[in-house]
Amino acid sequence: MELLTALTIGTLFAIGVFQLLRRNVIRSAIGLVILANAVNLFLLTTGAYLGEDPAYATYTGVGQRIADPLPQALILTAIVISMGGTAFVLAMLYIISARYQTANMDEVDNLKN
Amino acid sequence: MTQTTLLLAPLITLLLGTAVGFVFAHPTLNARLPITRQVWLLALFPLIAFIILLLPVSALNDGQIFLWRVEWLPPFGLQLGLYYDSWSALFALIITFIGVLIVIYAGQYFNGQQDAWRFQVYTLLFMTSMLGLVMAGDVLTLFIFWEGTSITSYLLIAYKYKDPEARAGAFRSLFITGGGGIALLAGLLFVSYVSGSTQWTDILSSGDRLRSSEFYTVMLALVAFGAFAKSAQFPAHIWLPGAMSAPTPASAYLHSATMVKAGIYLMARLNPALGFTSQWFFLLTVVGMATMLCGAYLGLKQKDLKGLLAYSTIAQLGILMLLIGQEDEESYKALVIGIVAHALYKSALFMVAGIIDHETGTRDITRLGGLRRAMPVSFAIALLAGLSMAGLPPMFGFLAKETLLAATLHPNLQPVLAAVSVFTGALMLAQAGLFVIDTFLGQPRDPTVHAHEAPQPMLLSPAIPAALSLIIVLLPGPKEESAFLAAAAAAAFGSKVKVSLALFHGLNAPLLLSIIAITLGSVIWYFRWPLRAWQDRLGAAFTFNRLYAGVLVAMDKGGYVATRLQQGKLRTYLVIMILAAVSLVFFFMGWPTYSLAGLTWPGLDFPGEMALLRFFSLLVVTGSALATLVLNRDFYAILAMSAMGLGTAVWFVLEPAPDVALVQIVVDILSLVILVLTLAKLPRAQRLKAQRMRWAERPSRPLLLRDAIASIAIGCVVALITLTALTSRPRLSQVTPYYIANAKEETGAADIVGAIIVDFRAMDTLIEITVFSLAGLGVFTLLNYAARTHGDHAQGEKKVRRTFSTLGIGGRRASPFLRAPAYALLPVALVLGIVQMMFGHDQPGDGFTAGVVIGLAVALWYVVFGYTETRARLPWLRASVLIAVGVLLAIVNGIIVTLFTDHFLGNMDYGELVGLPLPGGFHISSSFLFEIAICLAVLGSATHMLNALGHPGEEEEGTA
Repeated sequence: MELLTALTIGTLFAIGVFQLLRRNVIRSAIGLVILANAVNLFLLTTGAYLGEDPAYATYTGVGQRIADPLPQALILTAIVISMGGTAFVLAMLYIISARYQTANMDEVDNLKN
Repeated sequence: MTQTTLLLAPLITLLLGTAVGFVFAHPTLNARLPITRQVWLLALFPLIAFIILLLPVSALNDGQIFLWRVEWLPPFGLQLGLYYDSWSALFALIITFIGVLIVIYAGQYFNGQQDAWRFQVYTLLFMTSMLGLVMAGDVLTLFIFWEGTSITSYLLIAYKYKDPEARAGAFRSLFITGGGGIALLAGLLFVSYVSGSTQWTDILSSGDRLRSSEFYTVMLALVAFGAFAKSAQFPAHIWLPGAMSAPTPASAYLHSATMVKAGIYLMARLNPALGFTSQWFFLLTVVGMATMLCGAYLGLKQKDLKGLLAYSTIAQLGILMLLIGQEDEESYKALVIGIVAHALYKSALFMVAGIIDHETGTRDITRLGGLRRAMPVSFAIALLAGLSMAGLPPMFGFLAKETLLAATLHPNLQPVLAAVSVFTGALMLAQAGLFVIDTFLGQPRDPTVHAHEAPQPMLLSPAIPAALSLIIVLLPGPKEESAFLAAAAAAAFGSKVKVSLALFHGLNAPLLLSIIAITLGSVIWYFRWPLRAWQDRLGAAFTFNRLYAGVLVAMDKGGYVATRLQQGKLRTYLVIMILAAVSLVFFFMGWPTYSLAGLTWPGLDFPGEMALLRFFSLLVVTGSALATLVLNRDFYAILAMSAMGLGTAVWFVLEPAPDVALVQIVVDILSLVILVLTLAKLPRAQRLKAQRMRWAERPSRPLLLRDAIASIAIGCVVALITLTALTSRPRLSQVTPYYIANAKEETGAADIVGAIIVDFRAMDTLIEITVFSLAGLGVFTLLNYAARTHGDHAQGEKKVRRTFSTLGIGGRRASPFLRAPAYALLPVALVLGIVQMMFGHDQPGDGFTAGVVIGLAVALWYVVFGYTETRARLPWLRASVLIAVGVLLAIVNGIIVTLFTDHFLGNMDYGELVGLPLPGGFHISSSFLFEIAICLAVLGSATHMLNALGHPGEEEEGTA
């Protein structure tokens, strides 16, 4: 299972980065969301793995193996923040494409100046 | 008066003065009360500070030290503090005293200028920083104020910011003193590391440890570099002449009496801790001598009056630095007398130079002459101050030179020191002659220069220090003064110093040297014109401006090369960054030596009964992610992306992490809505064009390969890291057992994840909702202002025809079957949200989910009813208000609970406190209020995003 999980997360990462590198701005945005999901999955699987019960105080009897709540709390925060970030990036992508009259990232080339 | 009041009052007074200075920025007030009158009010503030600082002088003379300290970061043992002893007092009194004069003088200098309030504000801010610098009680406070003087002096030098020369001079000064500041910080950190404390009190008493430390040379070099840069020591002196592009009041203040003395202050302050070693002696003596000679030599050839004064200041600073390097009492006596004498005569001369410039329109020595007839009072002032600068009796400057020569004649020292001092003295006398005789006496050299006397208040300011140069030595019984100077010298020297201000000590060696210097100086002055012509022929070899220019040119060249490497395409940058990250991982971690032998291929070792589901969720996630690659239409790709998010949620459920899964589901749907809205906003033609060129176009093939390689590389690295982490990490993090054990007891929440979010790590959550709110506000701002101001909505004016896009997706009116559920869903979502917040403590769900769920219902409205109708029907949904109320509620709630629990954002059950009969599992506690705050902020931010992206923008571009 570990190997499969690792491979899945790696694949998601690769797809996310590949989409991020597309010229079409919408694809870039999709790539960003996929990356965010991949990172969250990575954090959760490496952080709260092997739990058998959810992290509730009522489950903490003897012999119970509850999932680690700390990574979960952090990921909860990360999910919300990444959504805010996505919305912001989308707004920027929209502005840029409106400014350059194109949805092709390669035509946005004078950021240098 | 307590120590605290005594130390804080002057700084607060000056800050108040700054605030009053700001008030005069108001145009009506400025017109009502002209700058010449404002200054009498503003000058009161430094005057009060001066008086307060003067009060404890007799206690200081007895060796008392005033201290004030406040904890800053207790876990690191860091404090901020003030320290006031005689050495600080010497500078503090000069700063505030000259400060009063400068403020008054500047009023006349800027007479009639509307924005002169800026100058006064900068001056008072500078004064505050400078005073804080000399009164700092520890190295950190010192550094903060040190940088404060750099920045405020930058503002002062660049006061005439429309003049490129002023900007260049200001930049040069900031570049050099700021660079010195960084070195100083490093040096001071070494000092406090070795001495084990940041406080002066401890540092000054741990001299032996500092001197024997292995870091001694490093810390001395770093601290000295900072001090040398600030005090214009060779070869960093080049910023000072450039800084002469400052308005003259600023030069008179910063570059004679105060800022350039900061390095002198610091080095002498550290003398008991770092001094008395051969490195200290050689470093300061050699640099001081070089600075003296360089300043005195270059000063003689100046045409500009202020340039001449700047170089003679450099020479004087060199003398002072040299004196700090010596190890005998006599030098420190000469040091304090030199500081006071120089502050008095140089500020007077600068102000006179300003008067000459103001009244004649030029500062060029070769065009001036014979001004005494038109400007008799200025002449008298210049004469007094000039005599003091020349070191002639009966002025204070004479005494300064006498003590200097006496110090250099110390039997332990090489005679070269005395020779250099004599030579410098002679050159300074010649310069004083240039300033006074060639400007005021003789005949006018340029008939086009017309002079008249300055107004009286303008003359008052230079007259006072010039007169003091005479009075200090002439008035009988200056016991208090000499006692004060002796105490100041003793504080810097580390043990007792005797100071007498008697002018004549009989016929002795110093007097003899003095006579030699005066004679030599007179000869140099007599041959000044041929000498200057010879200097000019020798060229600019010794100005070292080329060194500075070389550094700047090298930086420019580097920047040019870097720019060539950047082609401005984001995708290329991204690929470079990714490949760099990958290679860094391999570089530091080495090639993976991980053995796959321990794992059963294909690894379907399902633990627990849900394992098959888990495998299924993996398949869904991977498959839908792959689908985003394969699908041709953007819209479908977005749907696949959303499916992937839902698959992730399933994974979270199986983990099991119900709270996370819940948030993931609602956030995923909201992201979907926002993406689709953006997609609809992009002009159709552009969208299709971008969509078409995805795979097919030939030129992109190599790029495709490049991107694929980069993605696969980073994917492999992440997979390896995940595998390593999964097989080798501990099951629980270190703090988790504490959270599990105390969640119910301390926060009243059975849901430990919820307890961590609203209580244990509530500060994180507070920051998080702030960030999320800012994202919402950012989207709103970008789409409402940034776009419009750049003319992207140029055709926005003719887009009055909005009726088209007021309806939902596709521009078609939704059927009643769709509209009715949409109506019904919003109240349901509200109830759902409220219930989530009420019982989220013991169940999955919290403020985020509540906020996003309500936001989703609103999103449905946008989709079904369209923008205009939704806005009309939901007038209460004011995004910015919701954000403001949410964030404020969170903060206020956090503060109020402090009253009960002593913890910011602690937990308090108000319902239980009052005894309210509430349904089981529901508590009106601070956590509940915090949840509401989170919900409001998230809802507000989501509404902003929907508003901005759902706003009909470019719709009529396409025919949809």
